[in-house]
Amino acid sequence: MGIGGYDLVIVIAYLAAIPLFGVFFKRYVHTGEDYFLAGRMLPFWVIAMSLIGTNIGAYDYMGAAGGAYRFGIVQANYEWLGAIPAMIFASLLFIPFYWKSGVYTVPEFLGKRYSTAVRTIEAVLWTLFLACTLGIFFWASGLMLHTYLGWPLQLSIILIAIIVGVYTVTGGLAAVAMTDVVQMLMMLVGGLAVMIIGFNLTHGWSGLVSMIKPMHPQHFQLFLPLNHPQYPWLGILFGLGLVMSPAWWCCHQAIIQRTLGARSAWDAKASMMGAGFLKTLVPLLVVLPGLFALALCKDPSQIPNPDQAFPWVMRNLLPAGLSGLVFASFIAALLSTMDSTINSTATILTRDIYQKFIRKEASDRHYLLLGRVITVILVCWGVVFAPVTNKFPGIYVAMQTLLSYFQGPTLATVLLGIIWSRANRWGGLVGLAGGVGISIGLTLSGMNFLYVAWWSFVGSIVLNVVVSLFTKPEPLEKIQGLVYGLVVKESSTQELLRKRVEGGK
Amino acid sequence: MDLSKIPLFWAVIITGIIFVGIAIWAVLHPRKYIYEGAETKARWRDVRIWAVLLMAIQLAIYAVWGG
Repeated sequence: MGIGGYDLVIVIAYLAAIPLFGVFFKRYVHTGEDYFLAGRMLPFWVIAMSLIGTNIGAYDYMGAAGGAYRFGIVQANYEWLGAIPAMIFASLLFIPFYWKSGVYTVPEFLGKRYSTAVRTIEAVLWTLFLACTLGIFFWASGLMLHTYLGWPLQLSIILIAIIVGVYTVTGGLAAVAMTDVVQMLMMLVGGLAVMIIGFNLTHGWSGLVSMIKPMHPQHFQLFLPLNHPQYPWLGILFGLGLVMSPAWWCCHQAIIQRTLGARSAWDAKASMMGAGFLKTLVPLLVVLPGLFALALCKDPSQIPNPDQAFPWVMRNLLPAGLSGLVFASFIAALLSTMDSTINSTATILTRDIYQKFIRKEASDRHYLLLGRVITVILVCWGVVFAPVTNKFPGIYVAMQTLLSYFQGPTLATVLLGIIWSRANRWGGLVGLAGGVGISIGLTLSGMNFLYVAWWSFVGSIVLNVVVSLFTKPEPLEKIQGLVYGLVVKESSTQELLRKRVEGGK
Repeated sequence: MDLSKIPLFWAVIITGIIFVGIAIWAVLHPRKYIYEGAETKARWRDVRIWAVLLMAIQLAIYAVWGG
């Protein structure tokens, strides 16, 4: 890509401004709650933008554009059917419970609803997954600066670590959420620029369709036949729509944590619903570039790998000046995902491991300091682990596979815990562990990952229900305020929750 | 039975039913639950309406490009 002059100035100005902006929020951090949950002061619109910033990483730009280049708009299912219904469920069903129970993490909620064993399994799985993906994010961002700006790779990784580390360590979730807002705006502006230029070159949507459809008749269908190897419609509907997407939006710690920082129960609900409107626009940013590349690239050898579709658009379609802006938006996508991952991992390690097993009754200041120390360690870990991810090219796939192992069972465990008062500690434990076992077995048998997600979810539900029915129910006082029916219908439970929330402030 | 012969039309129909079902589920939530913690009871803060709007947009998208 022809980066130079104005482009370079834009990129450097952006890289310098983000940590300065983030550090500004240090002044609001005095307690552990300030650090991990932004003092529960975030308005809904900040969280909504932060959610989308966290959700879209640079891999989404590359992968989604590549998917659209290869398969067409079916890729948009990840942003529409595979997100919006789940976000409504998260908003009205899951988030109010997390927020009102006063927890910092999803494993902590499972600990309250089920048992310490369930909480610990979830905490360990999430820590492993998030810590490993951190190395991948650092490597990808370093590689990006190295490829497009020509800066030394190791230096680029260290530079990114300093930028993200400075504001994540000092400002906690507030800095992460506020910088995500800026980064989300950058991504919107960058995506809009690509869209305008692309449509200008293809003469609008109808021109784009007429250029692609004769050669690729299925590229403008959101559903593909059941014998499609990658995206059969039944797999999209049940695997993605009913399991993987709700698991992401309702149970992913990096997603849920910012909603827990909401200033009220209403803001928590509205944040996810508001993010739904932004999410509706995301295919314009990540799917359209793949279609532009397919329509406008006359020599397919220039895009040997579909994941090269987005870089091809950046290199060949954007005029000087705009390249820097789009490249900065690309970095924004990475930074906003990295900062959230670091912050969430630090929260799980502090709350679910250190505070639970090592030091239970320390002062708030102690946990605040510890959270910062763990954040620094995680940033250093990311820098050290980044080159390792390059030595093992399958590591990204391995991490995604690990995620798919516990996504369905996690959703099943949280869902039953919230909607069914009879679900108990033994059901939760067997359902979660058994569901992970089912996932591993089905994956090894070669089943499509969308169907693995569905069947591990179903298996986990069945195990949880059967074991719960054969063992002793949880006492009512333990689950009061943690089960949907009891909260929506009973005024005494609502009063209890109101007092709990006021007491927690 | 050759499953690949099932028309994509059915995928759109099932998706439409899911979207409408979610919208109805959202609307059925009690007003008190929806406005809990809201600064005012202004109509725009009714997130049930937001949910219906989101589902209506999805319904339109899948009706046009479903298959």
